[in-house]
Amino acid sequence: MAMMPKRVKFRKEMRRARDRKATKGNFVAYGDYGLQALEGCWLTARQIEAGRIAAQHFLKRQGKVFIRVFPDKPISKKPLETRMGKGKADTDYWAARVKPGTVLYEIAGVPEDVSKRTLKRIAMKMPVRCRFIHRRVSA
Amino acid sequence: MSQTHELSAEKRESVGTRESQRLRKEGKLPAVLYGHKLGTEHIMLDAKEALTHFEAGEKVFELKLGGKSETALLKDLAYDYLGRRIIHADFERVDLDEKVTVHIPIHFRGDAKGLKAAGALMIHPASDIQVECRVRDMQDSLDVDLSHLDVNESMHASEITLPSGWTLMSDADAVIAAIQVKKEEAEGEEVEVEGGAGEPEVIAEKKDDEDESKE
Repeated sequence: MAMMPKRVKFRKEMRRARDRKATKGNFVAYGDYGLQALEGCWLTARQIEAGRIAAQHFLKRQGKVFIRVFPDKPISKKPLETRMGKGKADTDYWAARVKPGTVLYEIAGVPEDVSKRTLKRIAMKMPVRCRFIHRRVSA
Repeated sequence: MSQTHELSAEKRESVGTRESQRLRKEGKLPAVLYGHKLGTEHIMLDAKEALTHFEAGEKVFELKLGGKSETALLKDLAYDYLGRRIIHADFERVDLDEKVTVHIPIHFRGDAKGLKAAGALMIHPASDIQVECRVRDMQDSLDVDLSHLDVNESMHASEITLPSGWTLMSDADAVIAAIQVKKEEAEGEEVEVEGGAGEPEVIAEKKDDEDESKE
């Protein structure tokens, strides 16, 4: 089952700007390696779930995968053959706002080569270009 | 004591985003030097030389600036938005006998005995600890032995053996490393996720209903 919030303040939301760069959630925080988005998008709950399943199949119960994004943005869609107007449509699906630089998944407990191959498989399920990253050098 | 590394620096006359971008293209790294109430100096380093030192985890430098030498501590590093490149460095003037608060990276040593169990996994939420020590006593990294750690056990910051003269500034109860056993999960099985099927509860609407009932 795809992820979605338990409770929300408002049923529908405005689209809002999508062209900013990530200033938070843009480094590996929990695992050893991560998958970073190089472009912005609305990552749907289905796409996040597809990535998780791809990782689970490949890892075969080894290691741990952290999902760093949560689909908390309701995306509405008007039904087919409906005339314009009559208010905003109902929520069709939930998405996570992804900005360039956002870390999407992290992985821990497996060697680097296995992590790289796992995250590459996840990247194939993503609608944006991604890259493999390590933990940062701290000052 | 950690070794003091020599780093040659030049003063930069013009500052700002455009100027910094131009310097980076020329293979320089913009940096700033401050502290000891001596005013701020805008400097530039040779990027290749500086990054080699930073990536090795070195923190205390002897900055050669305009014929004189100053001991400086690497205080902060700024990355670009993708975290790919280091774009700026902050240095603070220090004396070797001065006490400073710094983040020291942790290197785990030894094979934890708990990791031999099936499905065991090591989680390390922190990759560094904050300590107070004299610059002279500083180390580039701290080795932590995990060989005694068993399944479902965790190591806290307070359990780390610190060198003499060091004081722990991080939260003493912070988990540094833990050995967990992963829950059995069939392939392709759906994990329990936040939220449930259908519509989520709307908080704002609930309030409206309450107001209506009062009226």
